Amino acid sequence: MTAAIEVRGLQKTYREGLGGREVRALAGIDFAVQPGELFGLLGPNGAGKTTTVKILLGLTHATSGEASLLGLPASDPESRRRVGYLPEGHRFPGYLTARQTLSVFGRMSGIDHATLKARIPGLLERVQLADWIDVKVKKFSKGMTQRLGLASALVHDPEVLLLDEPTDGVDPVGRREIRDLLRAEAAKGRAVLLNSHLLSEIELTCDRVAVLRKGQMAAMGTVEELTKREEKKDSLNVYKLVASGIDDAVLAAFREAGAGAERVNGHFRVAARDPRHLNVLIDVARQRGALLTELTPEKSTLEDVFVDLVRAGDSADAAPSSPSRKSESAL
Amino acid sequence: MRALAANIEEVFREAAARWTLLAYFALSSLFILLFAVAVNLDVVNGALAGAKIFGANVQMGRQSVDLDKLVLGFESGFAGFLYVVGTFLAIFATAHLVPRLQEKGTIDLYLSRPVGRVPLLLSRYLGGLLLSASNVVYLLGAMWLLVIWKTHLVHPRFFFAAGIILFGIAALMAFAFLVGTLTSSTAVSIMATFALFFVSAILSNHDRIAAAVSTEWAAQLVHGLYWVFPKTAQLGGAVVALVMGDEGPRRMRDALTLQPFLTTGLFGAVCLTLACLRFRRKDF
Repeated sequence: MTAAIEVRGLQKTYREGLGGREVRALAGIDFAVQPGELFGLLGPNGAGKTTTVKILLGLTHATSGEASLLGLPASDPESRRRVGYLPEGHRFPGYLTARQTLSVFGRMSGIDHATLKARIPGLLERVQLADWIDVKVKKFSKGMTQRLGLASALVHDPEVLLLDEPTDGVDPVGRREIRDLLRAEAAKGRAVLLNSHLLSEIELTCDRVAVLRKGQMAAMGTVEELTKREEKKDSLNVYKLVASGIDDAVLAAFREAGAGAERVNGHFRVAARDPRHLNVLIDVARQRGALLTELTPEKSTLEDVFVDLVRAGDSADAAPSSPSRKSESAL
Repeated sequence: MRALAANIEEVFREAAARWTLLAYFALSSLFILLFAVAVNLDVVNGALAGAKIFGANVQMGRQSVDLDKLVLGFESGFAGFLYVVGTFLAIFATAHLVPRLQEKGTIDLYLSRPVGRVPLLLSRYLGGLLLSASNVVYLLGAMWLLVIWKTHLVHPRFFFAAGIILFGIAALMAFAFLVGTLTSSTAVSIMATFALFFVSAILSNHDRIAAAVSTEWAAQLVHGLYWVFPKTAQLGGAVVALVMGDEGPRRMRDALTLQPFLTTGLFGAVCLTLACLRFRRKDF
């Protein structure tokens, strides 16, 4: 199956002015997004996220490597016929109404007048702007402009969506609606690439996530894979245990059984090798009169993972001879 | 094609929304109004009434002047004036087309559509040219109709002078587009184009200027710039000569050659090509 979005060995080096110093924005990244997949692109400022999206859309030219959309090279304008894009900080002409905006950009995507006339009201209904259809864009709030941007990205019924901070300026209810809309689009088989600083948004929305750091791929995987918390030294799985009747003697018994155990803010963190080991620990606790009320695998948030990765990169930069950079990157 | 039509339409809609179109046509209307008032002055009415009674001649002081020649002379002078005014207005009205397109947050919206960069830029250029054409036709057409209404004399060449005016505008607009792609600044585009207009006009006297400079290389530079730059002064002369036709002085008729058109056309084509090349390679 042809990947909806594919990037291979993508590099971009900017030159500052004539004969100025070179700035490497992308140092050879690879990833692919399949149809129906919601893919999140994360990274601190200057990591290369926007450059990647801009290369995919032909806004910026790659120094080397390949970028393609639905099998067509990104440099070919035809590759954008089935792609919807919502840029960050977009500025629709304020003198156009919502209807006119979608009409202009729909026609620029090759859609005829009649189709647009039939499609636009429904699309604005989907993004909760039906009542504003003939109001000029300059009267829109930031959140409304963002919704209109989303409608503009969808107006030509694209197979791929590239969205840069789609929930920027949108209220919590609106954010949920946009999340639902993106999931619905993915369910229809659309590939969605989401570029956002809002890690919780990515965590809630995306199937897979890539973290960029200084133009390199720092980590990539499902949200589940990235947030699974392991005790690094012994590869133990960490669980949150809420129970009454657990005292220091029980914790000591856990440790004797080869587990990690500590008291944290009114509950316990228990590190076990595997489910069998975990059950042994539960038996130990119950034999000693403990009453368990909650036992859940403890996960990092995507934010924890993100911060760890960025800090790991920073400390590797501070000590350039450190050999651990690569291994830390691979979660 | 649909995308390009949408883009051209967008040029007009933007001009209308940003008051450019209104200001453009309001200024043109002001000129037309002034002209209408001028042709209704008592002295003009009296002269024309006299011509109607005593034949086709108008008495000007002790001289008797043929009315047809008088109107032609007036039309040619006014056409020359409109060449300058129409060009200035056109550059004012269209110099923003590239800088605004290249603004962050706007360019992304256009380039993310399946339209090549060169067709996108050329459709803006065509939109700007159509906008200018509509105004020049309005300006010259209204004046022409006023003259016909007042004198019953029909000189189509006055209206056809719009073609030369538009040709000059097209070349200068190409230069404004090139400056726009390089600087992304409307102000710089306007200033540079106006400077080019005046410098080119001054360079029409390149032989005299070259003779006045002290070094050979400076003289060569003056000649070189003359040949490279558009021939704004000669085009103005061509407008007047076209309107005058056979009634104009021989010196003027002789000046109506292909050379200024060819070199100006080449200048415009090169500027537009360079603008396209730069726009095509630019990272946004």
